[in-house]
Amino acid sequence: MRRSVFSTLCLVLAAATSCLLDGREVSAAEPLSRQTDQHVAKGYSGPKAAQADDAEFLRRLYLDLVGRVPTVAEARKFLDDKDAAKRTKLVDALLSSPEHPRRMTEAFNTMLMERRGENEDWTKFLTKSFEQNKPWDVMVREIIDPRDDDETTRGAAHFAVNRLSKVGQQDTDYPGLTRDVGRLFLGMDLQCAQCHDHLFIDAYKQVDFQGLYTVFLNTAIRSDVKFPALTENLMTKKMDFQSVFTKEPMQVGPRVPGLKEISIPSFKTGEEYLVKPDRKTKVVGVPKFSPLEALANELTATDNRAFRENIANRVWWLAMGRGLVDPLDQQHVDNTPSHPELFKLLGEEMKSRKFDLRSMLREFVLSETYARGSRWDAKAGARPAAATYAVAVAKPMSAEQLFHSFVTATGPQPPDVNLADVRARFITAYANPPKEAEIEFAPSVKAALFLSNDSTVLELLKPKAGNLVERLAKQADAGAAAEELYLAILARRPTDEERTEVRELAAKHAGDKAKLYGMLAWALVSSTEFCLNH
Amino acid sequence: MTKRSASDHSALCKPWEHQLSRRKLLGGAALGAAGAMAGQDLGGLGLGNLMAAAGDGSLDKKHKQVLFVWIDGGMSQYESWDPKPNTQFGGPFRAIPTSVPGIHISELMPKCAQQMHNLSIVRSMCTKDNAHSSGVGRIQRGDPKNRGVVYPFFGAAVAKFLGSGPSGLPPYVWIKPGSGGFIYQDAGFLGPKYGALAFGDGKPPQNLLRNPEVTTADDDLRNEFRRKANARFAADHPAEPVEAMDFVYASARELMKRGDLFDDAKVSAKDKERYGTHEFGRHMLLAREMLAAGVTFVKVNSYGWDTHGDNFNGHANLMPKFDQSFAAIVEDLAAMGKLDDVLVICLSEFGRTPRINGHVGRDHFPEAWSLITTGTGIRRGTVVGKTNDVGTWVTSQEIDIGHMFHTWFAALGINSKQVEYDNAGQPLPLAHDDFNLVKELLA
Repeated sequence: MRRSVFSTLCLVLAAATSCLLDGREVSAAEPLSRQTDQHVAKGYSGPKAAQADDAEFLRRLYLDLVGRVPTVAEARKFLDDKDAAKRTKLVDALLSSPEHPRRMTEAFNTMLMERRGENEDWTKFLTKSFEQNKPWDVMVREIIDPRDDDETTRGAAHFAVNRLSKVGQQDTDYPGLTRDVGRLFLGMDLQCAQCHDHLFIDAYKQVDFQGLYTVFLNTAIRSDVKFPALTENLMTKKMDFQSVFTKEPMQVGPRVPGLKEISIPSFKTGEEYLVKPDRKTKVVGVPKFSPLEALANELTATDNRAFRENIANRVWWLAMGRGLVDPLDQQHVDNTPSHPELFKLLGEEMKSRKFDLRSMLREFVLSETYARGSRWDAKAGARPAAATYAVAVAKPMSAEQLFHSFVTATGPQPPDVNLADVRARFITAYANPPKEAEIEFAPSVKAALFLSNDSTVLELLKPKAGNLVERLAKQADAGAAAEELYLAILARRPTDEERTEVRELAAKHAGDKAKLYGMLAWALVSSTEFCLNH
Repeated sequence: MTKRSASDHSALCKPWEHQLSRRKLLGGAALGAAGAMAGQDLGGLGLGNLMAAAGDGSLDKKHKQVLFVWIDGGMSQYESWDPKPNTQFGGPFRAIPTSVPGIHISELMPKCAQQMHNLSIVRSMCTKDNAHSSGVGRIQRGDPKNRGVVYPFFGAAVAKFLGSGPSGLPPYVWIKPGSGGFIYQDAGFLGPKYGALAFGDGKPPQNLLRNPEVTTADDDLRNEFRRKANARFAADHPAEPVEAMDFVYASARELMKRGDLFDDAKVSAKDKERYGTHEFGRHMLLAREMLAAGVTFVKVNSYGWDTHGDNFNGHANLMPKFDQSFAAIVEDLAAMGKLDDVLVICLSEFGRTPRINGHVGRDHFPEAWSLITTGTGIRRGTVVGKTNDVGTWVTSQEIDIGHMFHTWFAALGINSKQVEYDNAGQPLPLAHDDFNLVKELLA
C-alpha cells in the first residue's frame, strides 16, 4: 500500500464535500473539468506551457471529437469568431455532430480489436452504440455476453469470435481472449498469471486469470449462423488448476479478478437446459446457467472499481495522450497513477454519470489541462514530463484520422473519388500490425513510400472540380493562396515567413501553379505537424 | 469444442518465463558452482584492461559493416557448436571434424564444418537472463550496468558510430519473417533515427519505385519544403518525432534509388539453390545483396528455435537450413574478400539446458552456451572457452555479452574504453564498464 493514510482519509472526505490538500482546495461543487484542473495543478509547481491558441485548440478538438481536421470554412469561422464562449459552443456542436460517433467507433475499434481486421456486424454494433451514446457498462455486457436476437448488437460477439477463430496453424486462443478481457476492460494484463501468480506484480494472481479463463473455455464459436455468435456449454463444476511452481491443486469457478467467485448452480439431471441441444435437428443448446451472463454482470457492476477506473483512464488517454495510469493495462497497487486522487475521482464520476462516455469526454476537453499548449520554448528549461500535463502531449494520429484529414484537407472530393478505396490504402500504410496496440508515434518507411508514390494519393493532389489544389491554382494572390493552403492542411494561418516563401515559389513557378501547389500540399501533409495531434 | 485442461500452456505465459522452475531443474550444486564462477574476475585470464591493436579510437578508412544473425528462441549448443556426444546430456547426434584440425562441431552442420577456418566459436558464454522477453533486449543491448536509461541495440549503436557510409542507404536494416516497418524502439536513448528498418519477409516495401508522375526535381522540391516545415515545427515541439519522420523520408528516398536490391531476377538460380529456397535462405541471400550494396548493419532473424518440446527433431529440422545458408554467406563473404570489412556475429539470447525435459525438449540455459563470430578484426578458425565434459558449466573464464560488446566494438575500430555515448549531456559507456574485450578473439 503506497498511498498514505492521509490521502486515503482525504479521499473519504472528498466524497462528502471538499478536500484540502497542499493548501489548495478541490471543490466537489465545481464542474468536473475544473476539479480536474485543480487536481492536475496540485503537486506541480514547475513551469507550464501557455494555453493553446485558438488554432491549436481548434485542430486538436476536431481531431479528438470528429477524427479529422476542420475544413477551411470551419477554421475561418472559428478563428474569426469573437464570442468568448466559442470553445464551449464548438465542443457541444462537435459532440452532437454525426461525425462524433464515427470517430468513437474508429477509436474504440482500434483500441478493442487492435487491427485484427474489419467486420461489418462489429462496426454496426459500435456505430449504433456510439450514436445512442450507450453507457459503457451496457456495451461491455453486450460484448462479453453477446445475444443473437438483436441485429444491432449481436455484432458485439466479434470481439470474442475473432480471437477464438483459428488462423492458419494458430490454435483457438482462449488464453489470448482472457488476457484481452483483463487488459481492455479492467486495465490488468494478466498474461503472466495464467500458470502462476505474477512474479513481479503481487496483485495479479493466478486465480484472477483462471476465474475468467474458465468462463471463456466453456464457450465455442457458433457455425450455424452467418453473424458472429458464441454458444456456451453446460458448466456444472469448478475448474481445476495448479501453479507450475507449487503444483498445489486449486479450483475456481467463474470469477472477476479481485471479486467474489460466482457460485455454479446445480440443476436436476434433465433440467439443466432452457433449450436442449439436439444434434439431429442441429438445435444449439442453451443452458439455464450462463457463466458469460453472470460474468458480464459482475464485471460491469458499478462497484467494480477496476472496471470503472479502466474506462475513465482510457477516455482520459484518448483526450490527453497519456493515461493517469500508464501503461493503460498496468492498473495495480504498485503502479501508482500520476494523480491518484484524480484517478479515483474519475472512477467515481463514471459511476455517478452511469458510464456516459460522452459527458466524461466533454468535461475533459473543456478543462484547461486539455487546452494546454503543446509549444515549448527551450529557453524556459527542459520540457516538463508528460505525466505533469504542464505541456500538451502530442498524440499520434490513427490511420483513420490521417485518412479523414487528408481527404478533408485536399477536398472537397469530387464524387468519382472512391473514398472506401482511399481509406483502405491509408489503413494499410499507417495502421500497426495486427494485435499491436496503437499507443506510440511510429512513423515508417512504408508510410513514407506510400505518401510519396501511391497513385491515388497523387491523384487527389491534382486540380479537380473545386478541390484544394484547383482553388489554389486559380487564386491570383499568392499570399491568399498561402493562407488557404495552411488553413486547409494545418488549420492555422501561415506565419509571415511561410507566406513569403509561398509567394516566392509561386513567382518562380508561375508557369504551372497547379503542379506547384500540388507539391506544396504534399509537403504539408507529409510534415510532422500534420501527422501529430498536438 | 476441444477439451482443454487448465494447466495447458498455450499462447500466453510461456514456460521459459519460469525462472524458478528452471533453477530447480538445474540442481542446487551445479547452480552454486556456476554462481561462484560468475563472480570471479576475468583478470585471471590476463584480460584486465587490454586494448586491442584496432582499438585506438580511430575508425578505419574503409567502411566497416556488420552481419548480425539472430537465432531467436535459443539454439542448442549441444546440437551445434559445442557437441558432447555419448555423454549424459549429449543427445543423439554425433560430432564431426571440421576444416580446422581438432575442432569438432555437431554433425547437423556439415557445411559450416567446411567453413570452420573462416569462423570462430566462443563456447564459454555465460549470461544472466533466461527469459526471451527480456533476454532478447538484454543481449542485443550488451547488458550494460543499469543507469536508468534504455541502451540501444547493437545495430542502432553501430548505425550511430559508422553511419550510412558511402552508400547512403539506411544504416540498420533488419530482414525478418512477418511484418516489416521502422523499429525505432531498438535505438533506445540514441533517438528514433537510429532504429531498424525492417523488411518484413524480406520483401521490398510497397511503393518502392518512384511514381513516374513525379520527376526527381519535383521530388527534391517537395521534400525540401517538407523539411523546412519540419524544422519550423521542431523549434518549439519535441525533436524526436520530427527526427524520426525526417529519417524515414530520407531512407525512403535512398531506397527508391535502389529498387534493384529486391529484384529477384538478378539473383542466380545457383545462388538460390546454395542458400536454400526456404525463408532463412532467401533472407540470408538478401542480406548478402544488402552487404554488397553497402548497408552498414544487416540483421537477419530466424524464428522458432525455442525447443522446449521435441528438441532433437526440432534441431534436426532447423539446423540443416541454418547450416546451408550460414555456410553459404560466410563462404561468399570470404570469396569476395568482404570478411576483412564485415564483422559477422551469430547468436541467440541463450543456449539450451543440459537436462532433457519430460517433453524431450531442452529449456533455457544462459549459464554455458556458444556463439559464432568472424570477419573484420576477428581471429578465424579458433575456439575460445570451454565447458565441462557434460556441458553443464563453463570451465574456462566465463564470457558475458559485455565482453563481447567490447570485443566487437574493438573489431570495428571503436575503443569502447575511451569512446562514450553522450546522452543529452550524460556520458555513458558503450558497454558494461566492469568488462573488457576478449583478446584471444581479436586478429
